[in-house]
Amino acid sequence: MSERETQSLEEIGAGALLAEVDALKLDHWRLVQILCISSPGGNELDYSFGGGYAMRTLRLRTGPKDPVPSITHIYPAAFLYENEIRDLFGVRIERIDPDWEGKVYDVAATKPFSKVSVAATSSERPGEAR
Amino acid sequence: MSEHKLPSIGPTVIPFGPQHPVLPEPLHFDLVLEDEKVLDAVPQVGYIHRGLELLVDKRDYLDYVHVAERICGICSFMHGMGYCEAVESILGLAVPDRARWLRTFWCELERAHSHLLWLGLAADAFGFENLFMAAWRARELVIDVAEETAGGRVIFGSALVGGVSRDVGADTLARCAAALRPARDETLRLAEVMISEPTVRHRLEGVGKLGRDRAYELGAVGPMLRASGVDYDVRRRGYAAYGEIDFETVVEEGGDCMARALVRLGEIEQSFRIIEKVVGGIPEGPVSVPVKGMPPKGEAFVRLEQPRGEVLYFVRSNGTRNLERFRVRTPTFANIPAMVEAMRGADLADVPTIILTIDPCISCTER
Repeated sequence: MSERETQSLEEIGAGALLAEVDALKLDHWRLVQILCISSPGGNELDYSFGGGYAMRTLRLRTGPKDPVPSITHIYPAAFLYENEIRDLFGVRIERIDPDWEGKVYDVAATKPFSKVSVAATSSERPGEAR
Repeated sequence: MSEHKLPSIGPTVIPFGPQHPVLPEPLHFDLVLEDEKVLDAVPQVGYIHRGLELLVDKRDYLDYVHVAERICGICSFMHGMGYCEAVESILGLAVPDRARWLRTFWCELERAHSHLLWLGLAADAFGFENLFMAAWRARELVIDVAEETAGGRVIFGSALVGGVSRDVGADTLARCAAALRPARDETLRLAEVMISEPTVRHRLEGVGKLGRDRAYELGAVGPMLRASGVDYDVRRRGYAAYGEIDFETVVEEGGDCMARALVRLGEIEQSFRIIEKVVGGIPEGPVSVPVKGMPPKGEAFVRLEQPRGEVLYFVRSNGTRNLERFRVRTPTFANIPAMVEAMRGADLADVPTIILTIDPCISCTER
């Protein structure tokens, strides 16, 4: 009656990201989500893919200002996740298609507005009200 | 008489939302039009962004369930339950059987009332006022059962790490099952009316078409994906009591607005069937296990099937009472690229219908 769900998580380097994602696309995996976890030491990007009821997650660790290649030319639906991650966390994702240049979240607040980036901005501008 | 031809003015951009008569919630699109045809649609979110994910590191991990339930007023219980399942996974906690069955009961109540809500809104959008009122009258019966069993009509407040926060007696469950039968009969009648009405068919058939391969490639989920012929329903992974209850996955092949409507209509009926099976087969026993102390360091991904499709929860614990990260990838967020695709090439007049048959939940998306 129920399907078996399997989950796996593997860490990869920035240089291997596109090749891994391309291989998953060729194997008919669909993009489930991209997740960002930011910390003062850098960012973690989790790319989750679904094949049937299985889920594979690729984890990419980057420095705070390291560029990350976009996967939109492989998975077009990634554009929303990547634009959002840039708006919220300030991750430098290169060659997003379409690139909305920070306008996914069209809000008055200074972006990115994750707790790490807000704290960093405040420390750069002492005395400014948060 | 000479023939006059108006000069082409090129593409026109029409802002659609965030306040629009057809949208119950603030979604915004910039529609790029050539005459009446939609060339492209550029979505924008953030209008009511609340930063609820960020709150997780400021609230006790057991109390945060109440915040998770308030992500959305339609699938509130499922958000709370998804959070609980993820935390329980880190804790290595097995939930009592009766709690798993009660979770299934409330999940299906939410699915039924969510789809009936959608039916009313869709009927209102294409001007079928009687259908709108009848659908919401049937929904009211479902909401009454939610109130009787959970105590809340919108926020159930029943999700709890380690089980559910309240038990429901056998008499109450039987009474609720009987109270839901008129809602089920009324839904079947409304579905028949909707499917056979020529004006409805005219508005829905062939509109906003999305092929099977494209829906899959764009990461569509839920009724949006199943209406394009893909048999994928996360309930099949057997969480809560779904592994012990027989039910059908409703799949249509059309890929258009009509197919999406048919999937939801079929799912309402399936929800009522599942509720009957829960009432008939729920085991006796406790409804929760005590949870104390700090959660261990760890992380977990959990996927559930909400009314709008697959939702994903991620939690990471750093070993303190405040979790480090909570993430919800909502079904509406996953469906936005497919929604944009379905709008391309459509008439401007069909845009409200396309949006409503995708049934976006902006409250979830703007978590």
